[in-house]
Amino acid sequence: MSAEQHHHPSPSQYWKIAGFLALVTAIEVALFYIDKELELGAMNAVLLVILSTLKFLTVVGWFMHLRYEKSLLSRFFAAGFALAMGCYVVVLAAMGVIVIRGA
Amino acid sequence: MADVHAVETDHEEHESTGVSNLKLGMWIFLSSEFLFFGALITNYLLYSNRGGFTGPYPAEVYDIPFTSVSSFVLLMSSLTMVLAHNAFSRGDQNGTRTWLFATAALGAVFLGGQVFEFTEFIVNYDMKLTTNPAASAFYVLTGFHGIHVAIGVLLLLSLWGISRARGGLSQKSGLNVEMVGLYWHFVDIIWIVIFTVVYLLSLPPA
Amino acid sequence: MTATAERPATSIFRRPRSKTGLWSWITTVDHKRIGIMYGYAAFFFFIVGGIEALLLRIQLSQANAEFLTAGAYNALFTMHGTTMVFLFVMPASAAFMNYMLPLLVGARDVAFPRLNALSWWVFFFGAIFMYSTFFFGTSLPPAGVEGVAGNLPEGGGPGSFNWLANSPDGGWFGYQPNAGPFYTPGTAMDFWAGGLQILGLSSLVSSVNFIVTTFNMRAKGMKLMRMPVFAWMTTVTAFLLLFSLPIIAVALFMVTTDRQFGSLFFAAQNGGDPILWQHLFWLFGHPEVYIIILPPMGIVSEVMPAFARKPLFGYSAVVFAGAAIAFLGFGVWAHHMFSSGITPVAQAAFGLATMTIAIPTGIKIFNWLGTLWGGRIRFTPAMLFAIGFIAMFTIGGLSGVTHSIVPADWQETDTYYVVAHFHYVIFGGAVFGLFSGLYYWFPKYSGRLLDEKLGKLHFWLTFIGFNMTFAPMHWLGLQGMVRRTWKYAPEMGLEGWNQVVTAGAFIIALAMLVFMYNWRKSRRRGTVAGMDPWDARTIEWMTPNPTPEHNFSESLEITSLDHFWHMKYEEDEEGRPVRRADADEILARLEDIGNNPREPIHLPSPSFFPFLIGLGVPLIFYGIVYHTSLVGKGLIVLGALIVLASAIGWGIEPADEPHYGHDDHDEEHGEEEVVEVHG
Repeated sequence: MSAEQHHHPSPSQYWKIAGFLALVTAIEVALFYIDKELELGAMNAVLLVILSTLKFLTVVGWFMHLRYEKSLLSRFFAAGFALAMGCYVVVLAAMGVIVIRGA
Repeated sequence: MADVHAVETDHEEHESTGVSNLKLGMWIFLSSEFLFFGALITNYLLYSNRGGFTGPYPAEVYDIPFTSVSSFVLLMSSLTMVLAHNAFSRGDQNGTRTWLFATAALGAVFLGGQVFEFTEFIVNYDMKLTTNPAASAFYVLTGFHGIHVAIGVLLLLSLWGISRARGGLSQKSGLNVEMVGLYWHFVDIIWIVIFTVVYLLSLPPA
Repeated sequence: MTATAERPATSIFRRPRSKTGLWSWITTVDHKRIGIMYGYAAFFFFIVGGIEALLLRIQLSQANAEFLTAGAYNALFTMHGTTMVFLFVMPASAAFMNYMLPLLVGARDVAFPRLNALSWWVFFFGAIFMYSTFFFGTSLPPAGVEGVAGNLPEGGGPGSFNWLANSPDGGWFGYQPNAGPFYTPGTAMDFWAGGLQILGLSSLVSSVNFIVTTFNMRAKGMKLMRMPVFAWMTTVTAFLLLFSLPIIAVALFMVTTDRQFGSLFFAAQNGGDPILWQHLFWLFGHPEVYIIILPPMGIVSEVMPAFARKPLFGYSAVVFAGAAIAFLGFGVWAHHMFSSGITPVAQAAFGLATMTIAIPTGIKIFNWLGTLWGGRIRFTPAMLFAIGFIAMFTIGGLSGVTHSIVPADWQETDTYYVVAHFHYVIFGGAVFGLFSGLYYWFPKYSGRLLDEKLGKLHFWLTFIGFNMTFAPMHWLGLQGMVRRTWKYAPEMGLEGWNQVVTAGAFIIALAMLVFMYNWRKSRRRGTVAGMDPWDARTIEWMTPNPTPEHNFSESLEITSLDHFWHMKYEEDEEGRPVRRADADEILARLEDIGNNPREPIHLPSPSFFPFLIGLGVPLIFYGIVYHTSLVGKGLIVLGALIVLASAIGWGIEPADEPHYGHDDHDEEHGEEEVVEVHG
């Protein structure tokens, strides 16, 4: 029952992970302002999505311990995420928010 | 009609997957929450830069420095949550209690920030729920996230209260520390997505 | 009488302990009792929804009839659809899932017994909330619009059922902005939106519970691919519920905020987009179709092997086809919207995706036919309904494929052709499957058999009435009779078939009277079933009938698919099944041990809290409907306090207490569920 026996991170590692998360957030906010000056356009969006994905996966993997759990849980979790992405991207495409070239 | 023998045979049946019922149920429930917040975010993306509405669009009134700070607060509450769980698994009841309370407090700060933000938008910028569909979508999305945070704060405070009243949490309630933790981190990752997609990346119509 | 006992200080209330009487039902966490309550509630709403349908049919039996006003007609078709989908078919499936799932996988109960009770009570009070619209709801004409026929409380002669116009009248699909605050003011649609929200909450809790049950509670040796098909379909359905309900929850919240708090999501005149509602509704609504049909598919997959005396043909293909239907079911929603102006690319894509669903469905149908082929078929009522299911469902499936062809769909949209299609699938499919299950598993509930003669009469009346009712709707639809319209002109030439349809509807009603008589008669005085009345294959028959409270007296060890059959039968040299010499002894031993467990058995303890939370939730929704008044605000606070206090009580109370006043109180065992509140 207790999943916490095997090499879970120690408190000091948790602090380091939190420091990393804070750093990424700072970069994100910085990007927001850099974009205002330099007009990065799509580049800005891509970078921000990558950075927030990094934060997302860090919290899920380490804080929620998903990387230490049975793969069944990852599969359930990924299924919900993938289904939501799939369905809602199609809704946005069908409603003309996401424009598919040639369609 | 009661005996502990039968309980033990029962117990083996309980976990065909090797994951406790509670944890499996929690992860399954959380996976469905993606569909919930996904619909709300979709709703926001549909309206956030559709032209022709009257009144300010959400993206015109965001206070990014302020929201960055409250996002940081929520992110750090995930740290305190995981420290609470860690303290519990080391048998440190006092540490658990402290970190649980710290998490609830950070959550409350985040909620306070949200109340301040909403008030600011409504009073200073006159962007109400009824102003335009983009504003409606913004308030309902962040509002539902706020409700999730509030429920999390209540759960944390009840664990903290039980721990105080009984001088510690039993092994059984310990599983609840883990479950509340999962819920709490989930609310945090939803905010990670909202912060990027709704605040940093959204533009008012050109 | 009191149902309580002395309890230690961990509980707010003394723990309920009586095993009979009203309080035992209110506090029960036994999956079988919960299943029975779901079943009776579902049947009650089947009758209510049926009466609504009969009123609609009386109105349509003559051209230009004046039996109902337009408003009453709108309200009746709305409530007929809503009732049959959410208050009849879904809870009827939930009844079978609750009662049978633990028995089919060899467990003592579901994973979270108290959450199971919560699902039921939330459903129960949600249904009451929904129907209380008849007493409290109002339906007014759009602001500034005078004299809309039938939407006004006055108008219509006596006996025209105009009082019904005070119930929701925006269709079960609640299309916006028609069902929004401008075109449908008044509180009736708020009851509809709130009611569906509550019912969705109930189903969401159930879905988590059933998934954990199948994944974690299976008996030893019961691998996933040894589970009976109904257990599989329950799991697949639970996943569909899990992933589709949050979508409708959001959509309904948006309707509620539009109607109550003035948000503008669907207000077309202010820039809102009604098409968004259609996407969100059908993104839920199409999986919902499979939520309705997959459990009955599971039921007939249990019934047919039992009465064909053959194993299910292609077990793994049936299981995978079920999962494939569910998966594809999330990718076809826009075929409900071909006439809503979506792009040609979207139309082509969703048309093609819809056609692919025919493949796994066809696989299932051929597997059922393969099961019957060469079997020694016994035409019991259960089997007749199962065979009727295949035939009727196939017709409904084929007319469904015609909708995937976009130009054809444009002709069919909003005509009676569509009504015919989905009744062939839902009535000819789901309802036939559910009746099949009732005849098959009735002994598990009562220990007796439903009368076979009356059962056959019930089947044939249903079958004839059903086809008279719904087959002519195909041609009525193709002739251009539109849905949701309360009158048609005599020159349209529709009257003849409409009279056949109405006559058929009354034959179905007669069939249901026969069934109710049979149920009443057989429950007390039917033939005693014994332990294995059908010479069945699956493990739910390895315990006496009616099912003892503890389900199984000893832990099972499953060695194969159709485990029970293999205990009774072995193969001769030519591979034919031969009943083992000691089969009757095995049965006698199982029956004896089932009724007289050798060891004391420990079961989850009853609880007051699921009932209390179920009571509190609708109070919040009443409060939201009347939130502008002080009473409404008070109700929100009161409801929230009841839910919160009960949740805390629930959290403190252990899931099971081995014995009141027993020193040897096992602290380690039992899950203390975290209170899950879905925002």
